[in-house]
Amino acid sequence: MSKIIGIDLGTTNSCVAVMEAGKPKVIPSAEGRNIIPSVVEPVKNLVGDVAKRQMILNPKNTIYSVKRLMGRKYADKEVERTKTMVPYDIKSGKNGMAVVEIEGKTYSPQEISAKILQKCKTDAESYLGETVSEAVITVPAYFDDSQRQATKQAGEIAGLEVKRIINEPTAAALAYGLDKKTGQTIAVYDLGGGTFDISVLEIGDGVFEVKATNGDTHLGGDDFDQEILDWLADDFKKENGIDLRQDKQALQRVRDAAEKAKIELSSSMESEVNLPFITQSKDGQPLHLTRKITRAQLEGLVDGLIQKTMEPVKACLKDAKKKPAEINEIILVGGMTRMPKVQQLVKEFFGKQPHQGVNPDEVVAVGAAVQGGVLGGEVKDVLLLDVTPLTLGIETLGRVSTPLIERNTTVPTAKSQVFSTAADNQTQVEINVLQGERPMAADNKSLGRFILDGIPPAPRGIPQIEVAFDIDANGILKVSAKDKATGKVQSIVIKDAVGLSDEEIEKAKKEAELHAEEDKKKKDQIEKRNQADGLIFTAERTLKDAGDKVEADLKKDVEEKIKALKDILDSGTDEEIETKSKELSDSLQKVGEAMYKNQEPKSETAGQAEPEGNGPAGSKKSESEEKPDKDKAEEGEVVD
Amino acid sequence: MAKTTSLKKSAASQPAELENKLKRALADYDNLEKRIEREKKDFLLFFSAQLIRKILVVMDDLERCQNHLGNDGLSLIIQKFQQLLKEEGVVEIQAVGQEFDPELMEAIETVDGPKGKVVEVSLKGYLLNGKVLRPAKVTVGGSTENRKEK
Repeated sequence: MSKIIGIDLGTTNSCVAVMEAGKPKVIPSAEGRNIIPSVVEPVKNLVGDVAKRQMILNPKNTIYSVKRLMGRKYADKEVERTKTMVPYDIKSGKNGMAVVEIEGKTYSPQEISAKILQKCKTDAESYLGETVSEAVITVPAYFDDSQRQATKQAGEIAGLEVKRIINEPTAAALAYGLDKKTGQTIAVYDLGGGTFDISVLEIGDGVFEVKATNGDTHLGGDDFDQEILDWLADDFKKENGIDLRQDKQALQRVRDAAEKAKIELSSSMESEVNLPFITQSKDGQPLHLTRKITRAQLEGLVDGLIQKTMEPVKACLKDAKKKPAEINEIILVGGMTRMPKVQQLVKEFFGKQPHQGVNPDEVVAVGAAVQGGVLGGEVKDVLLLDVTPLTLGIETLGRVSTPLIERNTTVPTAKSQVFSTAADNQTQVEINVLQGERPMAADNKSLGRFILDGIPPAPRGIPQIEVAFDIDANGILKVSAKDKATGKVQSIVIKDAVGLSDEEIEKAKKEAELHAEEDKKKKDQIEKRNQADGLIFTAERTLKDAGDKVEADLKKDVEEKIKALKDILDSGTDEEIETKSKELSDSLQKVGEAMYKNQEPKSETAGQAEPEGNGPAGSKKSESEEKPDKDKAEEGEVVD
Repeated sequence: MAKTTSLKKSAASQPAELENKLKRALADYDNLEKRIEREKKDFLLFFSAQLIRKILVVMDDLERCQNHLGNDGLSLIIQKFQQLLKEEGVVEIQAVGQEFDPELMEAIETVDGPKGKVVEVSLKGYLLNGKVLRPAKVTVGGSTENRKEK
């Protein structure tokens, strides 16, 4: 079953997206970029970046902005205007339609556009690893029937069945899921590389109606770059008497730097243009172009351009018979809308925050993909899988919450981990199932608890209790605990592990953030105590194993220190515990030394004496105790 | 949570539809796995591309500086730099005297000279593990008669 791709066939750039597992995904081109320049050299069959790179060598054969000719008569005013702008030849073809002529051969705008669409198709196929034969293509809202028909033909020439032609502003609205907002009015402000469009749409029962459109077909990001370039060049000329615009190589560097500065100033307040050795003075001295440009300076430079967009906006609202306040939703499209000043102006004019979040260069293609997904039967709701809203885990030694399934895991899912006992001869463990982001069990919600008993008596850390969490597609959580030695199993089923209201989730997350610091402290304390507890256990065992190989006073010393540490384990401060632990550990080392001295260093009973002092197990009180996970445990056995 | 109800109840009565959706999900997953595998390989090969691209800008300036100064010490530094890039799989695109190739180069100007041949490189281009990291910016010899008179 092949997918329906969504294509934003733009004047300057094009973009392709597709629905995958209910989510739109922009497809990278073979060149590794998310956009494809709408440039074609039809003789050598070059498309995109490659065609753009040879444009200057081959100006009469390199077609760009062909969208301006789509479905238009040769006599059309826009065609007239385009003719004065582009170096390639535009002629009158069949039925007086505009066509381009290259080396005596004519190409219709459809054929040229088809090359771009074909590249979109090929890149999508190599990305998806399957054949693509259907597409949704977007067009400006003002396109008439002839232009839409031409776009459809372009798709067919490219070997794509065009399932639907949709308006660019409609696609943008779909990308934000606004089709469900019946009765709302939307304004789409689209400031791209070379054109500006403003559209007002109304949504009635999932159907979009374009109420009015307006714009400026020759206003876009390139004009902004030019302003910065001129500013830099003028400044340089004033200082050095040299016009960088006359030197093509220097000009190229300044142009790149201008665009880079523009992009940087969308996220930072200041940018530095630094072009060393940009040219030479008349006496052969190297000249450098270094200039700081602030966001305020940039805004001053391009203010005229931004203001220029407001006239069409007002005219469009007038045509739609709407006041700014009557617009319910505003969407920003096109790379230039990343500029904070543009966002601010739009926000001020309409008196509300525009939608943001979807990449403005990709939002139209994304919307086309959403439409493609709907047409292909890939309905979003049905494919949506639940996620666990909060972390699920169990309580372990020291009343710590040990996570099993992390927050935001897609269900159905299952996970298991092996735990052990915390005390010698412990015959039962209590499993307390917890939900929440806090590290301490008491701060999280207990979803339920049960006891697994009948564990054969054994030293702490020896029994292997496998705790398994399993959440099915309906969000029902089953927790089971199994003693690996006896095969005995206990379990519990919890129904509301997933279904939480947004408020509950927010609250839990906020609390976790709020208490992050004190929680960490608390957890550190517990860890220290757990370590001390483990040390006591190891020390006791070491003494037992050592038997009479150790001198009595050394043995006594260790015993005393064990007692000292035990006494303060619950009540002592962190420092006290640390000091006493250190003392015990030092004495314990002496025991180890003594044992080696008194004994031929031959075969040692591995796994029993743990010289480091803090073995894998912690201690008493709590129900169960974490051990390294299953795989690690098995690995350990092999080593032993 | 906003993302609730995984399967619509109405759909439960239509096994064929459900099967269809399952197949689709499995296919998506399968393809995703394959792509991750592919992307992992690409990532290993090209993960440094972005960083190297940024570093190349400094290299360009060093070379510009060297063109002017002709300093021995600086020459050693540049050599070291070039060695480092080579070790990372970065190879300079040889352009001067070559036929212009838009896959590897970007033409910024035409000048007098052999037609279609690269006369001068104004910004070096590089390949990273055989893929274009940055196309070379070049001036190309030849015909301006192709250009439209305005």
